[in-house]
Amino acid sequence: MNLIEIIDKLRTQKVKKFAYGLLVLLILVDFIIPRHEIHFFGDKIPGFWSVFGLISCALIIIVSKWIGQLWLMQDEDYYDK
Amino acid sequence: MISEIFNIEFFHPSAYYIIGGLLIPLLKGRIKQGFMLLLTLLAFFAVVNMPLGVYGIYEFLNWELTFGHVDKLSKVFAYIFTIMGVIGVIYSIHVKNDGEHLAAFYYIGGSLGVTFAGDFLTLFLFWEIMAFSSVFLVWYRKIPSSVDSGFRYLLWHVLGGLILFSGIMIQYSVSGDLSIQYLPFHGWWPTDLQSLATFLILIGFIINAAVPPLGAWLPDAYPAATVTGAVFMSAFTTKTAVYALIRVCAGSEILIVLGVVMAIYGVVYAVLENDVRRLLAYHIISQVGYMVAGVGLGTQMAINGVVAHAFCHILYKSLLFMGTGSVLYATGTAKLSELGGLYKTMPRTMIYTIIGGLAISAFPLFSGFVSKSMTLAAFSEEHYMWAFMCLMLASAGTFLHTGLKVPYFIWFGKDRGIKAKEPPWNMELAMIIGSLFCIGLGIFYKPLYALLPYPVHFEPYTAYHTWETLQLLLFTQLGFFLLLKKLWCANTISMDTDWFPRKGAKVFMWFINKPLASLEYNVIGECYEFIIQKPILRVASWFKWVDTVIVDRIFSEIANLTLMWSRKLQAIQSGQIQHYAMIMVAGVLTVIFIGIILP
Repeated sequence: MNLIEIIDKLRTQKVKKFAYGLLVLLILVDFIIPRHEIHFFGDKIPGFWSVFGLISCALIIIVSKWIGQLWLMQDEDYYDK
Repeated sequence: MISEIFNIEFFHPSAYYIIGGLLIPLLKGRIKQGFMLLLTLLAFFAVVNMPLGVYGIYEFLNWELTFGHVDKLSKVFAYIFTIMGVIGVIYSIHVKNDGEHLAAFYYIGGSLGVTFAGDFLTLFLFWEIMAFSSVFLVWYRKIPSSVDSGFRYLLWHVLGGLILFSGIMIQYSVSGDLSIQYLPFHGWWPTDLQSLATFLILIGFIINAAVPPLGAWLPDAYPAATVTGAVFMSAFTTKTAVYALIRVCAGSEILIVLGVVMAIYGVVYAVLENDVRRLLAYHIISQVGYMVAGVGLGTQMAINGVVAHAFCHILYKSLLFMGTGSVLYATGTAKLSELGGLYKTMPRTMIYTIIGGLAISAFPLFSGFVSKSMTLAAFSEEHYMWAFMCLMLASAGTFLHTGLKVPYFIWFGKDRGIKAKEPPWNMELAMIIGSLFCIGLGIFYKPLYALLPYPVHFEPYTAYHTWETLQLLLFTQLGFFLLLKKLWCANTISMDTDWFPRKGAKVFMWFINKPLASLEYNVIGECYEFIIQKPILRVASWFKWVDTVIVDRIFSEIANLTLMWSRKLQAIQSGQIQHYAMIMVAGVLTVIFIGIILP
């Protein structure tokens, strides 16, 4: 089996479901994982970094695109005009 | 190697690049390729065999120039620069243009020179060699936009060099000492001459570290460089600046703020970017932000983290530039809006690029994880929670773009049926070596930690820390797929802080061509004519009148008079001797007569 076939095998709904399962597992295990040397309040809350990751991702995409469309993005020949 | 043969302790690795490199144009074919590779390996082993200490001191005028200041900090940077030299030269060994090889060799030699410089003058010398050699890596792309980008790149670096040099001169006048010292800058602006010197040196360094608003040259020039040139550029300039900042400015609080701003700034621009190599360039800014912030914090742990991060960053970022460079090489474009579906034709390049993406995203078992986490832990330990949160946010952004967006839109996304094939063997070999480093350092991190300037009391693979990172990254991935529709790219560019000089230059040229030129032509020109030109003409015409009417007439009248008298005299010139005798006798008689009469 060559590389391309392996990649094609990975692009199925079954793998997608497995990935969602993994995400749930990540949060569940976070309830029992041993913590040490806590400096940051978020480190005490189970699942904090999951939520942080999701929100960060959404924030970065939405805010950046908003600023971009409002102001920063220009045509490619912008500086030649 | 040479140091052993000649029994000298220290042999400067730059010599291999700067002096050895001169022979490249004289050689041909396989011999040339072998020679280039040999030089890079010799330089690496020169660093391996290098004992700590101070070497290569030369007297120049009244100054003492130190070319070989070797301590743990300079050595670890020299290690990564020479390793990168080997990888970069393998990647670019097929390039036919000797000029491009020479530019890369001088660029690497320059960065090694900066690394071992013991005084500011030597540092400045190699600093400028870097700027003036690397610009050729942009120009050799030989398309008009690259020529323009190259000039802008050079202008930024000349500006930075001048600011750095003025700082060095003030430092010299204040302290009378040119040796590189620890000069942290405290506060926000200079208050006395010493802090002005430090401030200017800091500005000179942060221009090369691409700190906004002075860093727009980086995303401008790197994507404009040649396929292989960008690989070198991604490694050396900013990391040399980080090294200089550690050496001179560690613990300058202003750098924490600048670094955190940088880390997020790069991520924001990366969302908007369509050109893959420019997207990666913005991620250099973001990653260097971690380093700059860590330098600003300045604790031993933070500095260790910064050095480790610079080490890993050079490897994974060059790997990413090699992967996307291969795509550009194979397809002729680096625009996400024109790419897609390449996994069928370039699957191996995809694997290498994803490894680079996972490493930069600090995925467990990849190199970024063991380095970035140390810097982050230093912030958390010092209770800089706002900085810690912002840097974690930037981490999510890094994975979002480099780990997900870049691979997705190049290799998957919309299949555009582009005909492409895997790059030549040497490019692939370089990517394999880079990938092995990215995974190897993530697993066997102890040798890297042993190279760091301070003793390391940090363990990256604790259960919680690994779990925290996995949560952050995998939920970012969820967010990516949920918001995928928003991420499609169009053919756009984004205005950066170089808008001010670029549009400013346009306004300046318009001012010169329109108002200033018409002012000169219509007002100053007219004034000149009325106040200077016309009076002068009048005076001149008066002189001309005096000349023709008076002076010339006097002469012509004298001439006429002479002519008249000559004619009269002609009458007595008969040519017969008796007439002359008569006249002579008459004359003598007249004289005698006068002599008798007059008394």
